[in-house]
Amino acid sequence: MIRESAGHTHRLPPALAPLAALALAIVLGLISRRLFGDYVERIGIDICIAIILAVSLNIVNGFTGQFSIGHAAFYAIGGYVAGMISYYASIQLWDSPTSWGSILSPTSINVVYQSLIFVIALLCGGIVAALAGWLVGLPSLRLRGDYLAIVTLGFGEIVRVLLQQTNEQIFTRSDLHAASRDELFPPPVGGALGFINIPKMTSLFWAVLLACACVLFAWRLKKSTFGRAMIAIRENEIAAEAMGVNITRLKVWAFVFAAFFAGIAGGLYAHEAGTQIGPGDAGFTRSFDVVIMVVLGGLGSITGSILAATILTIANEWLREPTHVWHIGLALLALRLMVQPKQRFRAIVWSLSAIAAIEGARSIAIRLQIDLGEYRMVIFALMLIVMMILRPQGLFGTHEFSDLLPRRRRPGRGFEVST
Amino acid sequence: MIQTHDAPLLDVRDIGIAFGGLRAVDHFSLRLDLGQLHGLIGPNGAGKTTCFNLLTGVYAPDTGEIRLRGRPIHHSRPHQIAGAGIARTFQNIRLFPHLSVIENLLVACHLRSRQTIAGAIFESRKHLEDERMMEHKCLALLDRFELADQSDEPAASLCYGDQRRLEIARALAIDPKVLLLDEPAAGMNPQEKVQLKSLIRGLLEGFNIAILLIEHDMSVVMDLCEQITVLDHGCTIATGAPAEIQADPKVIEAYLGASVETGEPEEEGTADERG
Ligand SMILES: Nc1ncnc2c1ncn2[C@@H]1O[C@H](COP(=O)(O)OP(=O)(O)OP(=O)(O)O)[C@@H](O)[C@H]1O
Ligand SMILES: [Mg+2]
Repeated sequence: MIRESAGHTHRLPPALAPLAALALAIVLGLISRRLFGDYVERIGIDICIAIILAVSLNIVNGFTGQFSIGHAAFYAIGGYVAGMISYYASIQLWDSPTSWGSILSPTSINVVYQSLIFVIALLCGGIVAALAGWLVGLPSLRLRGDYLAIVTLGFGEIVRVLLQQTNEQIFTRSDLHAASRDELFPPPVGGALGFINIPKMTSLFWAVLLACACVLFAWRLKKSTFGRAMIAIRENEIAAEAMGVNITRLKVWAFVFAAFFAGIAGGLYAHEAGTQIGPGDAGFTRSFDVVIMVVLGGLGSITGSILAATILTIANEWLREPTHVWHIGLALLALRLMVQPKQRFRAIVWSLSAIAAIEGARSIAIRLQIDLGEYRMVIFALMLIVMMILRPQGLFGTHEFSDLLPRRRRPGRGFEVST
Repeated sequence: MIQTHDAPLLDVRDIGIAFGGLRAVDHFSLRLDLGQLHGLIGPNGAGKTTCFNLLTGVYAPDTGEIRLRGRPIHHSRPHQIAGAGIARTFQNIRLFPHLSVIENLLVACHLRSRQTIAGAIFESRKHLEDERMMEHKCLALLDRFELADQSDEPAASLCYGDQRRLEIARALAIDPKVLLLDEPAAGMNPQEKVQLKSLIRGLLEGFNIAILLIEHDMSVVMDLCEQITVLDHGCTIATGAPAEIQADPKVIEAYLGASVETGEPEEEGTADERG
């Protein structure tokens, strides 16, 4: 392995991170359901999907500083394409979409085939979404700021309406073979009713594995010359161009990468138990959720996106059934005081008042029998506003978790080299 | 392409551009060879920065042509021109404020890097090697500009003079043949100006380049440049050695009585946003 010269921390072998991700996915996939049950596993999958969405949108909104608010369009495209492939493959092969098992807990002898189909379906979903990203990106990335936001928003709505116009689903092999051309195009994915009976293939294993892949991709991209060039576009577009950065190309790439992973996330969602993908998933509400995650976490910060995606997904569940949170709050406060001893007093005051506010809201909601879940958009929007006032750069600003660790030392002046 | 040895490094012929009715630059011509340090002066709004914007592809000229080593570049995009070997600094500093000092330089190395996306994602050996080479190159450059100590600080945290020097270092990181400096001494104190002068002189030999320098501070221009072009209202009103320029009545008139030798910089008020 290449070791850095004296003064540099040596790098870990490049294969270590992917292997660690695989190990994590296997361990979590094996133990989670047994230890915590289906409900927790489902939240875990939701968190992974949210992480993929937020981290991938961060490549566009955070790295290159564009403002896309149509991310859910790529998510829905990926979900529909992946769902279509696995659904109709299993109709064709087994005449039934229901006999699927998971790779870690096989319930059927076809599990290897099925996993293969699932992975291919996810990849195809990602690729089609990426193509869509490229098509949208090429013309619209010449636009700036608000105009790009409007185009991406419009694209999401177009996808939603197109999905509503699709054909009725076909449920048996014989119908599939007898179907006329009109029934097959536009694709038979259920129209406005949504796409049902997609095989429930998404397990925590796949979700964790793909979330790790997405995070690793974004992380290494950010640390590479391409990531730096993308960030340079955000920092100062004119200077970046004058320094030789091909800004159009990098913006399109950012868009394509983001759309690819959004497509993968959509595929996971389409195959998740207890959910059903529909045209509404391409719409603005879903996109807005992701934008909030990226902004709350800090534009450009992968760590921030991961954290915000996790917090918001859990908060979403909590709003449906609010339980006590003060012990979690206190634990977080303790962690904060251990990691960052500065500004102790402020942290304590803020945390305690936040805990009090949340507990207060909870007891009021319970007393008045209000379903907080119905107000989630209002609550998230409020969180965003409060954040913009208190900490406009987001939780992590543009920093990463690794910036909290002791600084890596770089040789100072007088260091060997001469020009 | 025609690329004869006797073609000048930079050959600008009769370029011009109009913004609406205003001819910001008209019939501007210039020849620059390696090792030359050419000054570009003129009162505020004379069109100096616009010349730089034409040379670097921010605007395409309405008339005329620009050749770099015989190759026409006036239809190229800014990043292509950077690739061809013209680097610049900006009148109002344009660093990448949140990136660290060394990362500012590394961005400029992107152009010449041979990294691939796949290599970056899988951290191939070649990728890591390339990354390390780039880092070494940038550290060496920072060392020369006495910025190596701050290599990990965010660029925005540097003091003004350091930011100006960092911008020059960043421009040099693209391995240019022509370096365009837009008022590098602006806002510097006299001591910093003296240091800057020796720094710029050192660049000519150290990097084997040609420099085109916009500067309001006459002491800097007259000391450094062997040739000077004077612009006024977009037109070239004089070209020549510093002594000739100082004696030229048209130049003195353009500066409206402001003594050329001491001509203090007037406020750079309406700095164009692309400056
Ligand atoms: N993009 C533009 N659109 C319209 N007018 C412009 C544009 N850029 C420059 N100008 C005009 O062109 C003229 C020349 O501007 P320029 O910035 O080149 O002057 P300068 O010589 O650099 O002056 P200074 O010493 O103040 O920097 C000015 O009148 C300016 O207002
Ligand atoms: Mg100017």
